[in-house]
Amino acid sequence: MLGLSLQIVLNGVTTGLVYVLMALGFTLIFGIMRVVNFAHGELYMAAAFAIYVLNGKLGWNYVPAIVFSVAFAGLLGSVLERVLFRRVIGNEFNCMILALAVSIALQSVALIAFGPDEVGAPRPVTGVLRLGPAVIPADRLFVGGMAMLLLAAFYVFLNKTHLGLMMRAVAQDAEIAALHGIQPKLIHTAAFGIGSLLAGAAGALMAPVYTVFPYMGELPMMKAFIVVVLGGLGSLPGAVIGGLLLGIVESAFATMLGTTVAALVAFGVVVAIIAIRPEGLMGRRA
Amino acid sequence: MNVRLGSIVASLIGAMLASAWLPANAQDVLKIGVIGPMTGPGAQWGLATAGGVQIAAKEVNDKGGLKVGNKTYRVEVISYDEQYKAAVAISALQRLINQDGAKFVFGPVSSAGTLAVMDIVKQTKTIGITGAYSRKALDPSNPYMFRVYSVATDFAQPMVNWLKKNVRADLKRVAVINPNDETGWDSDKLLNDTYTKNGYTIVAKELYERSVRDYQPVLTKILAERPDIVDLGTAPPASAGLIVRQARELGYKGRFIKIGGSGPRQIIEGAGKAAAEGVINYLPADEQNPGYRRLAAEYKKMTGNEMNPLLVSWYDGAYILMAAIQSAGTVSDTDKVRQSFAKALPYKSVLGGTIRLGGKETYGIDNQFLTPNYIGIIKDGDVVTAGQAE
Repeated sequence: MLGLSLQIVLNGVTTGLVYVLMALGFTLIFGIMRVVNFAHGELYMAAAFAIYVLNGKLGWNYVPAIVFSVAFAGLLGSVLERVLFRRVIGNEFNCMILALAVSIALQSVALIAFGPDEVGAPRPVTGVLRLGPAVIPADRLFVGGMAMLLLAAFYVFLNKTHLGLMMRAVAQDAEIAALHGIQPKLIHTAAFGIGSLLAGAAGALMAPVYTVFPYMGELPMMKAFIVVVLGGLGSLPGAVIGGLLLGIVESAFATMLGTTVAALVAFGVVVAIIAIRPEGLMGRRA
Repeated sequence: MNVRLGSIVASLIGAMLASAWLPANAQDVLKIGVIGPMTGPGAQWGLATAGGVQIAAKEVNDKGGLKVGNKTYRVEVISYDEQYKAAVAISALQRLINQDGAKFVFGPVSSAGTLAVMDIVKQTKTIGITGAYSRKALDPSNPYMFRVYSVATDFAQPMVNWLKKNVRADLKRVAVINPNDETGWDSDKLLNDTYTKNGYTIVAKELYERSVRDYQPVLTKILAERPDIVDLGTAPPASAGLIVRQARELGYKGRFIKIGGSGPRQIIEGAGKAAAEGVINYLPADEQNPGYRRLAAEYKKMTGNEMNPLLVSWYDGAYILMAAIQSAGTVSDTDKVRQSFAKALPYKSVLGGTIRLGGKETYGIDNQFLTPNYIGIIKDGDVVTAGQAE
């Protein structure tokens, strides 16, 4: 029983860390621009395909391939903000519809370019690590470790760098920030890019763990949405707590009662949070 | 305004007169619909459906078309994605019948989709040729629905017989994993009954949601029961590959068998060569057969992708349907066509074996194309045919 419990927690934490990466970017974009970016999952997918092509097809080394793939997602996000989202920022409903349209368009582009088949990206790390009676696949451990590194880097970025502080200022009050010489539009582009970069990091890291296909972003996007509702829309600590909580709860229920019950519980928790504490676990009251 | 209206009417009359003067065969088109999952984890099966029918149609068209009575028809294939969802399958069928005017439809491939369209097929007298695994897909009260290949109900017992002969006799603890839908429920019950009847012990039976890619929680539960054999049931091939890989990562060292939808190459793609080694698969076709290789090359030329073995059955099925239409001498009277399947079959498959019509004993109606089944084992990243499931 101890072994099973340990395995449940390990499965949950490694999965939860990926949810955190996805949710951080999602909530960053919402916190600064009030955009519910339903195309976030497609940035995850874009980076996954990028690493599949670079590492799997063109034979690039894994490290430059992952750096390029993550940067590609970040750049794509910045371009989307600059070309499309900037026109509708301030109107949450239009932003949501635009995000849905971008999501479908990116899926279709991937479908045309790569077809509907699920393909496998090369695995940079293989094998398992034994922890008493439990095991952790080495690739999951690698993804979890990278996710924690990115989390730490993101924390330092937001709290110690000039750009990070400007982002926080715009998130708190764009008008006051503008009065202090910060250009909110530039911050928007940067925030969208960094949020997309985080989605790209999750996608590029997870591509070798699962399979790569045009619709692969839908489920992580849904999880990111659950996580940010759970933690509080726009709250970064909330995204971390929500992601880990969702990962562990899902792991426990899926192991004990099956994946259907786990999905039911995840959405049930969201409904309960919205009913009891609409701002989420760590969100601010409007 | 009147002048414009007059010119439109004149144009319409002109077009009607012109069409009346055109030779009849320039207009005659036989529309065949295809409904299958073209996207998502089951896409390999849907693409095999469309691919098989399209290759057969192209071959017939290249030879001048399908001669029915004194007319020659160009065969047109119209395909729709059912996304493995019942509601989408219904929309696709209604579109095929009402907008495209198709009276013959291959698919749906999913059991949920097939059960959802059963009534429409019957009411509209559309010939449906499904690929669904559910036993309920063939119903004595619905003579318009046929099935294109033998399904697990037909080959589960032969495969377990093979297992008993070829795998260590002390491996008796079996775990079964299936998707949580009509296809999976049916497979779950069938495999439970078949293994139990043959002296095996079912130690775990798990259902998962099709959208899931992280099978570790489900596998953690299954592997806690220490199975000797894990049956992947009707898990789509890409999902089955991930299940195999994740189970190996969690330390599972036993055997895998898949008594359900085929796709060993996708299992190798998802699991990796090492993890997929030794997986026992149901195969609807012998990959070493020259007919198979010809079709695989044709499919590769057409799409650039590797062929799923199920394509062979859909290819044969398309020829069987066209033979039934020719035998009935009509493309519009579907009652005559459905009765003509008994004349079109037995039919010699592109692989050389014989496809017969049957199913009355199992399903209460002779609407099942009984196809030969094979057993394949993954060895060193390739699929080796180990024998026929008889």
